[in-house]
Amino acid sequence: MLRLLYLGLIAVCILPTIPGLLGVVLSAFGYIPPIGLSDFSLSGFSHVFRWNGVWQSIGLTMYSAIISSYLACLITFAILQSCWNTTWWRKIETLLSPLLAMPHVAFAIGFAFLFAPTGIGVRTIYQSFGYDLSSQNVNEMALLVKDPDALGLIVMLALKEVPFLLLMSIPILQQLKVAQIEKVSHALGYNNSQVWCKVIFPQWFTRLRFPMLAIIAYSVSVVDIALIIGPTNPPTFAVLVWQWFNDPDLSLLPRAAAGAVVLFIIASLLIAFVQTLEWVVLKGFKHWQYSGRSGLTLPGKSLFSLLTILAFIMLPLMILWSFALRWRFPDLVPSQFSTRFWQYEWQSIVNTFGQSMSIAVICATLSLLLALIAHEYRQRYRIHIPGYIIAIPMLIPQLSVLFGMQIATLYIKSDVYSFWVCWAHVFFAFPYVYLSLDGPWRSYDQGLTRVALSLGKSPLHAWFKVKLPLLLPAVTFAWAVGVSVSLAQYLPTLILGAGRISTITTEAVALSSGHDRRITAIYAISQALLPLLFFSLAMLLNHTHGKYRRLSIKGLLTHESLSRKPRHP
Amino acid sequence: MSLCLENLVIRKKNGDILLTDFNLTVYKGEIVTLMGPSGCGKSTLLDTIAGHLSQEFTYSGTISLEQNQMDQLPAHLRQVGILFQDDLLFPHLTIWENLAFALPDTIKGNERKITAMEALKHISLSNLANSFPEQISGGQRARIALTRMLLAKPKAALLDEPYSKLDKELRAQFRSLVVEQLKQANIPVLMVTHDKEDIPSGSRCINWPWENDNA
Repeated sequence: MLRLLYLGLIAVCILPTIPGLLGVVLSAFGYIPPIGLSDFSLSGFSHVFRWNGVWQSIGLTMYSAIISSYLACLITFAILQSCWNTTWWRKIETLLSPLLAMPHVAFAIGFAFLFAPTGIGVRTIYQSFGYDLSSQNVNEMALLVKDPDALGLIVMLALKEVPFLLLMSIPILQQLKVAQIEKVSHALGYNNSQVWCKVIFPQWFTRLRFPMLAIIAYSVSVVDIALIIGPTNPPTFAVLVWQWFNDPDLSLLPRAAAGAVVLFIIASLLIAFVQTLEWVVLKGFKHWQYSGRSGLTLPGKSLFSLLTILAFIMLPLMILWSFALRWRFPDLVPSQFSTRFWQYEWQSIVNTFGQSMSIAVICATLSLLLALIAHEYRQRYRIHIPGYIIAIPMLIPQLSVLFGMQIATLYIKSDVYSFWVCWAHVFFAFPYVYLSLDGPWRSYDQGLTRVALSLGKSPLHAWFKVKLPLLLPAVTFAWAVGVSVSLAQYLPTLILGAGRISTITTEAVALSSGHDRRITAIYAISQALLPLLFFSLAMLLNHTHGKYRRLSIKGLLTHESLSRKPRHP
Repeated sequence: MSLCLENLVIRKKNGDILLTDFNLTVYKGEIVTLMGPSGCGKSTLLDTIAGHLSQEFTYSGTISLEQNQMDQLPAHLRQVGILFQDDLLFPHLTIWENLAFALPDTIKGNERKITAMEALKHISLSNLANSFPEQISGGQRARIALTRMLLAKPKAALLDEPYSKLDKELRAQFRSLVVEQLKQANIPVLMVTHDKEDIPSGSRCINWPWENDNA
């Protein structure tokens, strides 16, 4: 039975990568029989590279992905260097959950409200320093929102990925035994900053490889965030490809598919770059690690305070906007308030909310069941799918696989949109749920199950009465991760739903490009609160299972793996 | 050159006293052993001297080295070497790089490698220079950890049950190497252990409960 279920899992969550990639590659070469294109050609690629500004777009994508990811890495290291094993660290751990639960889209909208040319940041500067904005062109003020150099996108992505990297660093640093390293290095005459730079950084950075690859792949392929705060002329390459996919002229689909293949190549190149850079810094030029007592003291506490303040300003700011009837620039607060926009949008929100919740709950539950099957199978049978294969959906650009999956659906039955959307959500949520459970499942003492079996209980009884209760907090947390990942899906919902399925995320992104901040704020609040709701539920369950909590948290934190953190591909 | 502890009192945060009014002087070239059962505060005393006392404890009294008070000095400026139960070699550095890491900053560039290689030759482990710690035996790692500690030129050394993780045969060999090397370094050495066999012959030993030592 377990073997059969495992085969089902492979069919649903692993194999679709093949038709996904194959479909997009064939389409890139002009072979799309369902729309009457059956001759192979390179015209798709030539269209891509003939596009005005394509190289600038590719350059923007590569540099914004690299800079934002390494900036996030640097900020994370600064915070760890200053705060690990101090009283600050306890505060950071408490704040990590709400920071992680905030979806990228809601964060981006909040970021735009803060830093847009007429955002609260500029208003505050005006009110505090009386800076005369009338001498500036509004576009010149767009330093961090839709700016041509993607600075806003870089800063936003960097800030949003810091909590994820911090969470990833917890098991890494626990394995490294930082306290002992500090003791022995102090005895050798190194101060704390020097110990972190010379001894801990090389070991931490090596182990952070997979999270770094995941955030780089995400930064390369992100569409929703780039639509909200990224550059527009040209946009980042993923957005450009997405625009090509939306071209009403179907004969141009090979161009979009070729773009998706190029995006995949860019992501692969950047992954190779990350590996090379890591080798150069840590192995190729190793001399700095033993050359003597030097090291940078980074302002980690200030950086974390800044990140937290920004994140916690966003929600009240969005709430303020959602009730603003009249908020003229450069006023700091609205001059008139109204519930009108909530009333207008309420019915629509309730419907979208319901649809989002149903899809998320169904997909998270399915992903959880599949992850449980995968872990149980891995523990019983030696031959199983390795973790890095399961993690592939996290490392390849969504656009590069979704189009092929959509083509595949055309051959089966294309009009069951809800089914295909749910399938795509499960496909992308499953790796996160699986990896969230990896640590707890590995740390579970199999001896407990053997004891139950030796007492005459059936394997199923032992699983439900011994193993599951012990791992229940981790299971609920993984489920919340699945819900959160599903809620954040933008491209899978649009592509496989063919625009017929709307969720809070698709609505929030669509509205963010409009001009009514009040409506955008309402959807952004909803998008931010939904995952928080599920994480709170999971935490509540964890709390009520206090006696098991220690084991499950230990399991979650001590294993080096992708975490319980939902990233939002 | 001596390590002096005067009127040292170590308390837990809840007020319980771990060590009361303890006085001890360890002279240059001398190895003093403090014996005591598990949990009596041996390692906490060493942490206090090295500047690593955890926040669960507080202390009063004076710790001085070469008549300079160390109480206010951060751990990395105390110049007190420590040898732990575990070798704590850095796994990402090769053996010679581990040694080069400890060298004073006055030694620069390629000199660091040359000095590290000489130190390895001195303990007859030159062939392991490019190995990583995980590739060598426990006994070899212990010798390298000792050499690394001494290469940093400490003005005193603390040994926290340094032989407890070695097997019986290795333990005997390593004990004589430690004593020989520390005598050569001619610095005050304070060792804590619960194994009588660890006490170097002819050296001073203070048994639990530790009496004040005014020698």
